Amino acid sequence: MIFKPNWRSLLLSTTTAMAFGLASPGAHADIPDENYQAVLAHLLGTVMPPKLDEFHASTETLTQDFENFCSDPDAGGLEDAQTAFHAAMDIWQEIQPWRMGPLVANGRDQHIEYWPDKHGTAARQFRKLMFDKPAAYTDPEKLAGASAALQGFPALEEVLFADDHGDQMIAADEDGVFLCQYGTAIATNLGTLSAELQEEWPAFATAMENAGPDSMDYPTAKFAATDLYRALHEGLLIISTQKLARPLGENAEDARASRAESPLSKRSLRNIEHNLIGLFAIYDGKWGDIGEEGKGLAALIENSLLDRSFRLNWQTVGDSVAKLPPSVTEVLEQPDGYETLTDLKGQIEFLTTLVENDVGGNTQLGGGFNALDGD
Amino acid sequence: METQRRSFLKLMGVGGAFTLLPVGLARAATTPNPEDRAVYISASAGDHGDYYVSAFNASGKILFEQPLPGRGHDIGLRPDHADVAAVERRPGLYGLILDRHTGDVRAKLHCPEDRRFYGHAIYSNDGRYLYITENDFDHARGVVSVWDAKDGYRRVAEFDSFGTGPHELHLMPDGEHLVIANGGLHTHPDQDGRTPLNISSMQPNLSIIDRRTGKLVHQAALKHDWHKLSIRHLDVASNGTIAAGFQYQGDLTDQVPLVGIWHPGSDIRPIEAPDTVQYRMRQYCGSVRFDASGQVFGISCPRGGLVTFWDARTNDFLTHIAAPDGCGLAATDRAGEFVGTSGLGNGWRLDAIRRKRVELPDDSLKSQHWDNHLRRIIA
Repeated sequence: MIFKPNWRSLLLSTTTAMAFGLASPGAHADIPDENYQAVLAHLLGTVMPPKLDEFHASTETLTQDFENFCSDPDAGGLEDAQTAFHAAMDIWQEIQPWRMGPLVANGRDQHIEYWPDKHGTAARQFRKLMFDKPAAYTDPEKLAGASAALQGFPALEEVLFADDHGDQMIAADEDGVFLCQYGTAIATNLGTLSAELQEEWPAFATAMENAGPDSMDYPTAKFAATDLYRALHEGLLIISTQKLARPLGENAEDARASRAESPLSKRSLRNIEHNLIGLFAIYDGKWGDIGEEGKGLAALIENSLLDRSFRLNWQTVGDSVAKLPPSVTEVLEQPDGYETLTDLKGQIEFLTTLVENDVGGNTQLGGGFNALDGD
Repeated sequence: METQRRSFLKLMGVGGAFTLLPVGLARAATTPNPEDRAVYISASAGDHGDYYVSAFNASGKILFEQPLPGRGHDIGLRPDHADVAAVERRPGLYGLILDRHTGDVRAKLHCPEDRRFYGHAIYSNDGRYLYITENDFDHARGVVSVWDAKDGYRRVAEFDSFGTGPHELHLMPDGEHLVIANGGLHTHPDQDGRTPLNISSMQPNLSIIDRRTGKLVHQAALKHDWHKLSIRHLDVASNGTIAAGFQYQGDLTDQVPLVGIWHPGSDIRPIEAPDTVQYRMRQYCGSVRFDASGQVFGISCPRGGLVTFWDARTNDFLTHIAAPDGCGLAATDRAGEFVGTSGLGNGWRLDAIRRKRVELPDDSLKSQHWDNHLRRIIA
């Protein structure tokens, strides 16, 4: 891991340079509500819907590939299903940090991905499932009413990547047949959940865009835009305090890759790479080919130097993650692996500080007398 | 959720026909309202680290601003008397007894060196004794101090709170017992007095003690899985039902209840809002208040900018109203109606039954950042 010696000095130096060009947020006039409204319209109305379409399409491909594999199981089919799993997870990990509205309604985000599983619920329930092989778990509709731990990506990861499940499915023995039927049901259920997201998102986006004094949910566009700022802030916090802190544990001896997200499919850090893509879209307004640069929260920041500095800092962290292998296991096996992950956690924490101070302050979305310092 | 609200409206005797009346006519149909004489009082802050106890009338017009030496928190009201008690928030050193009509200082309370005030105080019904939650920080022990108002506010006793980090306390309807929210968090003034030092081992509880002897009468805690739910704020209905609001010290994504109902002698019953509201509560409740009927209680969630409303009889979530940075809540004399204040300077009349939010008309209110708690008195 190559970034270690320089990231801190690079990030700090850009921020220090910024300090000379900045006035305090309090010195700025209030940002007009229509400016927030434009950001809401762009991010929620223009950017997110095509991404939800992409997510839904990826779950449909996943279902199709899983069905194809199970109809005539072989190694190539398994690989195709695993590839489709990764593709669906990639786009899900970009969407995941936008925790608001339909994404959290009815526990949907947990049904799509039940994690962190602090009590090992999924593993315990999966063992029982394989012992009993209940037919209900091969029916997507009935599966939708089952425990969240058994119906989303982590459960599918267990089917596709754990132990000898792949061999069992290829051999089509009793366990393998059940795994195939169960895996297909999970993929189908993910398709249903992603379709619900597509369907419910427009009404949520409209409510946010139409924020006004008559709304009991969003009395101002600024208040509605606070949800976007919080998604950005909390998304980074979740990466550092859960996705990295859990495998890191208390110290090097306590580190466990098994506590990371998606350990079986060996993509814990790939998840973070995609989280950062989705999170940066909130700031920038452009997400892959969708949207337009500078029309996210960045549109609310007048100081171009600060904007450039923030982008540079984010890019530095993004580059660092991209250079890492996708698996926490692989990193921790390296001699300086623990330090590498600790360092990455420090970089994410530094980005969090920049979001709190620079983005939160200059967009006027990060404040709150009681919200920030209540008792 | 809507069905619950409709059944609730029926129970409260509020039908559709009433809600269709023009506001003016609906008001005229009611008897003259003591709300016109209501005064709301709260700790507040200016823009430059300046702190006050401030009062405003039902229109939001500020009546007085009394500077404080540090940030206040809640206000204790002495029954049938001009005194109100403003105790510094944790780790607090001062308490001021003020005249509720003018804000003039009538007495000063000094926290012992080995204790710190925690922002909340309550008087006995006869107005003689003032009870304040405190931190015995060297022993990680909560205490309730007793001050004799008739003897120049002399500190006359100290009881165990039967937990760590006691926060809000209330008198039970019998007037003889105190219910205390022991938040479970140990803090120490040597480490800023606010940073939690024991999150992994915290054990919050609700305790009821005899206000004369300090003897523990009832105590309840949440199940161990939820031990990071700091039980901080509460209110008591006239029938003895206790509503409590929690502040979660665990992960952002953990799914935990944030509200509890307690009937002493039984377990605390946790209750939750629908996911989209529960999520917006942001793991943090700031203030709890029963309405005039005792059937509805409001819980403010300043981090999410929401006030949530609940039915204490059925333990159901009723509705929510957005209130950016809103925290202070006081019941008006109307069922389901509250006045709320915010750190942004807003004051609203919030109607949980009709789901309405109306800004108080006088702009003078906007000169202050209104702190966590709001009290209503009749002038």
